[in-house]
Parts: sequence; C-alpha cells; structure tokens
Amino acid sequence: MTEEDSSAKMSEDVERYLKLNPPCSSSSSSSAVAFANKSGTFKSSSPPCPEHVLENVLESVLQFLTSRCDRNAVSLVCKSWYRVEAQTRFEVFIGNCYSLSPARLTHRFKGLRSIVLKGKPRFADFNLMPPNWGAQFAPWVVATAKAYPWLEKVHLKRMFVTDDDLALLADSFPGFKELTLVCCEGFGTSGIAVVANKCRQLKVLDLVESEVTDDEVDWISCFPEGESPLESLSFDCVESPINFNALEGLVVRSPFLKKLRTNRFVSLEELHRLMVRAPQLTSLGTGSFSPDNAPQGEQLPDYAAAFLACKSIVCLSGFREFRPEYLLAISPVCANLTSLNFSYANISPHMLNPIIRNCHNIRVFWALDSIRDEGLQAVAATCKELRELRIFPFDPREDSEGPVSGVGLQAISEGCRKLESILYFCQRMTNEAVTAMSENCPQLTVFRLCIMGRHRPDHVTGKPMDDGFGAIVKNCKKLTRLAVSGLLTDEAFSYIGEYGKLIRTLSVAFAGNSDKALRYVLEGCPKLQKLEIRDSPFGDAGLRSGMHRYCNMRFVWLSSCVLSLGGCRDVAQALPNVVVEVFGSDGDDDDDTVTGDYVETLYLYRSLDGPRKDAPKFVTIL
Amino acid sequence: MEGCPRNREIGPKLLDLIPQGRKWYQEDKNNTDQEKKLELRLGPPGGDEEDHSAIKKKNTEIRNIKKETEDKSFHCFNGNHFSPSNKTTSVPHISQKRTAPGPVVGWPPVRSFRKNLASTSSSKLGNESSHGGQINKSDDGEKQVETKKEGMFVKINMDGVPIGRKVDLNAYNSYEQLSFVVDKLFRGLLAAQRDISDGQGEEKSIIGLLDGKGEFTLTYEDNEGDKMLVGDVPWQMFVSSVKRLRVIKSSEISSALTFGCSKQEKMMH
Repeated sequence: MTEEDSSAKMSEDVERYLKLNPPCSSSSSSSAVAFANKSGTFKSSSPPCPEHVLENVLESVLQFLTSRCDRNAVSLVCKSWYRVEAQTRFEVFIGNCYSLSPARLTHRFKGLRSIVLKGKPRFADFNLMPPNWGAQFAPWVVATAKAYPWLEKVHLKRMFVTDDDLALLADSFPGFKELTLVCCEGFGTSGIAVVANKCRQLKVLDLVESEVTDDEVDWISCFPEGESPLESLSFDCVESPINFNALEGLVVRSPFLKKLRTNRFVSLEELHRLMVRAPQLTSLGTGSFSPDNAPQGEQLPDYAAAFLACKSIVCLSGFREFRPEYLLAISPVCANLTSLNFSYANISPHMLNPIIRNCHNIRVFWALDSIRDEGLQAVAATCKELRELRIFPFDPREDSEGPVSGVGLQAISEGCRKLESILYFCQRMTNEAVTAMSENCPQLTVFRLCIMGRHRPDHVTGKPMDDGFGAIVKNCKKLTRLAVSGLLTDEAFSYIGEYGKLIRTLSVAFAGNSDKALRYVLEGCPKLQKLEIRDSPFGDAGLRSGMHRYCNMRFVWLSSCVLSLGGCRDVAQALPNVVVEVFGSDGDDDDDTVTGDYVETLYLYRSLDGPRKDAPKFVTIL
Repeated sequence: MEGCPRNREIGPKLLDLIPQGRKWYQEDKNNTDQEKKLELRLGPPGGDEEDHSAIKKKNTEIRNIKKETEDKSFHCFNGNHFSPSNKTTSVPHISQKRTAPGPVVGWPPVRSFRKNLASTSSSKLGNESSHGGQINKSDDGEKQVETKKEGMFVKINMDGVPIGRKVDLNAYNSYEQLSFVVDKLFRGLLAAQRDISDGQGEEKSIIGLLDGKGEFTLTYEDNEGDKMLVGDVPWQMFVSSVKRLRVIKSSEISSALTFGCSKQEKMMH
C-alpha cells in the first residue's frame, strides 16, 4: 500500500466508524468536536467514550509502525497508548532471554505472530562459557504455545533447544511458517524431522551455524508429500549425510524455493541435479563443490551450463571441499552476484582472480585469508559496491603465517569506499593502514579487527595500536560496533570514550593498562549496550565506574579480568534491577578455583523479573 | 590525537571516578592503594614501586594462573617478580618474545567449525598456483567423516599444586606431545609452590611422566570413572575416553589408582 492509499483508507475507516458511532454534541473534548465537524452528519445518540475513537484510530495508525524502537516510544505515551500498542504488536524482539520471564511477555502482548529470542552472550561461542549455563527455549515454547496459537515465526540465536521443544512447537502452531536457528544447540535431526513433517505451512527452515546432533533420522523425507510452500531451506551446518533423492524430490515440488543451502554431503553432481530442478533459486549453498569419487563413465555434467541456467542466483556460499578446477563453473553468475561466501574454501589469489574480476555487483564478500593481500587488492579493484567484508583465518593460531596484513586492508579501503562492515583477522597490522581505512570509508558502522597475536604492536613502528583505533572512532561517525585488538593502552579507550558516541557493541580482549580504560568507555559511550571484555586488567574500580549505566545496557561480560567477589557484590546490591552472575570457566565447583574471592567471569544484565530460577550450580547470582 | 596526555604515573591522582553527586565509591588519594589491595597476588607483598607496565604485567600473570598461556612471563613466580634475569624482561610487552605459546581458551575468537579447515580435503589444494587444474584425484577416496572438532578441553591437576589447568587434547597427536605440554603447564607452578613451602624455587623439568621413571606420573580418569595410567592405549582411544587428567607423585601410584579401579592389572608395568 502506498502512503496515500493508506491514509485514504484510514480516513475512510474513521469516517465509517464515526457514522456508526457519532460523538455526542455536548462532548467537551475538542477532538470529538473536530471529528463531528469533519464527518458532517451525526445523530444525537449516546456517544462512546472519545477514548475509544482515539484507540481505534491509533490501532489503524500503529499497524504501520514496525520499528520496535518507535513502538517502544509509543507505548510510553500513556496507558491507553500502551494498551493499544500491546494489542497491535505482532513481532517482538527479546535481545536477552533472561531480561524478562515468558509470563511477562504473554501477559503484555496478546497477539504475537513472530518472536526473536537471543540467549547466550557471544563469548559463549569461544568456549568461554561452561556448558549447560542456560538459555533454554523450553519455558518460552511452553508459554507461547498456550498464548499464541497463531504464532508464525520463531527466530532463535544462541539458545538451547531440545527435540522436545521442537516437537511442541510443531504441535502447537498450526500456521507456523518460519523457523530460524542461529548458533543454537541441544537438538538433532529428529527434532528437525518433526518440524518438517508437522508444519504444513513451513516456508522457512534455516539452520545457521548450529550444532545438530546426528540422530540418523532421514529428516528430508519427513516433509509431507504434495506441493510444498518452502521458500528457504538452509542446512549447511548439519554435519550428517542426507537422503539426496528425497532432497531432489522436495526441491522438485517446491516451486517457491528461492534459497537452498546444502551441506557438505551434497556432491557437485548432486548439486547440478538440484540446480537443474530449481533454476529459480536466488541463493545457493553449494555443499562440498566436489565431485563424488565414483568414476563416471558418462560425460561429466556441464556445471557451467547449470549456473548459466540459474539466472537469478545472487548469493553463493558453500564450497566446503571445493576442487579448484570446477570453480570457474560459477563464472556465468558472477556479474549478478551480490553476495559471495568463500569462507570455507582455501582459495589462492590465483584462483580468486578470474572469478572476482567479474563480480562488479558484490556487496557482501566472505573469504579466508588464503586469498592473501593480493586477493584483497583484486577485490578492491573490482568490487566497488562492497558493503561487507569478512576475512577469516585459514590457520587460526597466534603464530601462523599471516597472509593478510595492513597492505590488504589499505587496498580495500582505497577501492571499496562504500564499505560499511568489516571483520578482519590478521597476524600483523599498522596504525597507518587502520587510519587509512578510517579516512577512506566514512560509512563504516562495524569495524572488527582481530590481530591474532596478543598484545601485538604496530609491526612497522612498534607503537601501540591506539592511534589506528582512535582514528576509526574519530572519523567513522556512524560506527555502532567495534572490536579492538593488538597492543592497546588506556589511551585507545580514551579515544573510544571521547568519539564513540554511537557505539552499541564493544569487544575488548587483552587490552588496556588500568581501570581508567574501562571508565573512559563506560562514561563516554552513551549508546553502549553490549560490552564484552576478556583478559584485560580491569578491576572493581573500573566496574564501579559504570554503575550508572548498567540498567540501560543489555549486558556486560568481563572474564579473566581482575575482579573480586566483593566488587561484584557491590554492584549487585546497588542495582536491584540488574542480575549479576559470576562463574568459573570450568563448569563445576571443584577444588580448582584459586581463591574464593577471585572472579573468573562476570556476566551482568538488566532484568525485569529478577534472578533466573534455572541457574546451574556453578553459577552464583549475587 | 594530540593533546591527549599520556599519564603513565601510578595512580590516577586527578581523576574523579564518579560523576558529581554520586558516592558509589570513596574516592580519595589512597585510591591506588585500594585498587592494589583488590589486586590478587601471589608472592611477597610490598615493595611495589613498579610503573603501570609492570602492574599490567603483574595482572597478566595473575590471570595467567587460570589460563593455559605459555607466556614466559609466567615463570616470574619465583619469589622475585621482576628480576631481570628471568626469561622475559620487565620492559612492557612490546619486547616480550613469546616462544610457541600454547592455546588460550577461545583465542583467536573463531568458532569451532572454522577451526579445522586445515584438516579437510580442501587444504590439500589451493594456494599452490602451480597446480592449476592438475589436482591429484587420488587423495580422498572416501569422504573424510569429521565431526566438528571442538577444542576438547579436559581438566588437569597436579599433586601439590592447588591450581588446576586445562588442556586441549585435540591439539595434540601423541602422548609425547601431551607430556611436553604438561611439563610446560606445571613447571612454573610447581616451582612456585616449592618456593613458597621450602625455599627451593628453581625450576626443574617435569619428565618421565609416561614411563614411571620420573618424580611424577600422568594418570587419567576415563568415562567409566576408572583411574588409569596414561600411555597404555592408542592415542585416539585415549582421547575418546578420557575425562580428566591428574599428575601424581610416582611414589603414590598404587594408592592413587586403587580407589574405584577395577583395572589394576594395567598398572603393573
């Protein structure tokens, strides 16, 4: 609907409503009088409360408000607006599953269709959190199953989801359409099978970077017969073989399928068959990109022709076990590609060149550092539309070779001026290169640099990396997410505090000299929501300096710093709306802990419903 | 970035840690003393005239107790924190030379499924431009069936050392490597303990962990709860059944392994 259509429709609604429920002529409300004048005709019957008029209008207006920030603002105007907003909110986003209880959610919102839930903090991905810490989906699925029978969409990130949870979900929501599980664990192929089988309206089943146990269930065969409404099916993270014939059959009967991300158990020949069946695909995860080794008597399939036929492909990923000699088969789609993910493929600059030089429209590029500075220069030369770059380490150890450096970073900054987001792993870096990026790429909102050697200075000047990161926060005025690394003194943090006024997420590791650094950040960054710090010399004084902020932040994580139990307790006692958890890295309460006072990990977050009841034994809630 | 003073003195004398009007924390001239009191230490108190870099290093060391880092600075725990004769100097970390540091938990911050790319078949290809299209097709006849190799961290304790550590067994391929790592992990700690108790304080290698000839022997507890000597079964079988490790005094082998052990015959070497 265009804006004019919608406002026209709205005033029609208002008029129709008023004709049925004309306001009383003796009403003192000026707005009621205004309505009366506009509609022209009214009868003198008993009027409804003007509030009802307003609420109805508000409902009509609010349906166009989708941004949750706007909706949150609306809900604060007055009780009436709060009520109407709650009735009309269909999508809810919960950034920390422990910030409220499921009961509170179901009490406030009565008509939810879509839920986004996030659980564990990001450092849990790196083994910094013991297993069984929490973030279970179970209480949420139980509560929402009762409250929202018309729920259509569930999107979970870093949650613990069991097969039983998935079964309950599949049973409880007849209109269920979209399931996305990102970085989740606790379930297996049997849970997926139930969802596939029972959710007859399923359009989206996306398993992204999740751990899926192999229960040896042929889940692909569990999709019901007949035409399928599937639009997106991603299972590239599933580390178990699949029934290819069943997959092919499913693809054949899914005319709306646009996104298909296969896992590494799908060979190149099988991929070819799928592509022939589904030329309408826009996003393709290519699986292994390696042929079966059964020797083929017949002619090899024409892979390039298959790519040529799939004119709509704009996004390619996979290449889990790729063979270089087949890589050029993707050439026909290169010019149309907006997103290319080579981050599982050990691709050399020599292999990259013929491909990347046709990728003029690429906006998102993920790769391994195997492409080297040379490959990055090739990207910089061609990919003028690049918005997001991620370079992962092929060999993620601290002292590995390091084929990318400031040279590549600087080249990218000079060639890709529209860059908005970068994640860059390297072994060595210079302030000069980082500063160049800050000057050449003013659109940067996300800057994450990981110099893998801890405490590494600028490898040319030997100085700390303070100036480089300082330039980033100073020049990139739209920066909302920052991850720092290398040798950093308190000065770097003074820059962050001084210039990082829009920063919402900050990641710090092995950096800083003293509590001053933490204080600069906590006092200087008013938008800071998520702070994750490890192995830095920050103690109780630094922690205390953020007391005024913690109620307004999603979470703070401090691990392997210099915190004491007393200092953490002070925070807990001063801020009743903040839950303060402390735990060790071990996950059980052994005789291993050094002293009773040392805090290995502090994780604090605001909560409306107090400390959680499901904390395991190794977690102490202060 | 000019104009930002680099204040490297001890103690933020001029700094007011709290905004006006709030008294979360008593700010006074003894701020640094209070901060220092909160710092954890091992070793003799007092005599702290170090600058910030040393304080940072001290903090690093304190943290290092709980981590599997192989920073040589670790070995400063010999009753003499910053003796220049040590393997590292007390000059700030810029000149710290780390020789083959061991794995630190979760660093670099790369998710587990991205960690073992070197071991998949694609590693045999690529980055060799001379190969071009001539990749030998004779390599993986079967698809490698790897599960996602996460770091397999098991706890390891040592008799006489109160602090436990963790080792990533997936990082090693043999008992010799494991033995080497155990030596590196505990050598300094053990020396620190001995220094504290009887003033010896020198470091000795921990050797002979596997053959019963050293002062210490490496044992483990498997998934059935049995305590066994390390080294009897093939490495992969060991890795798949081990739950935790313990370095015990060789003199106490028989008593240490008796409890709950039904495989005593294995112990007789």
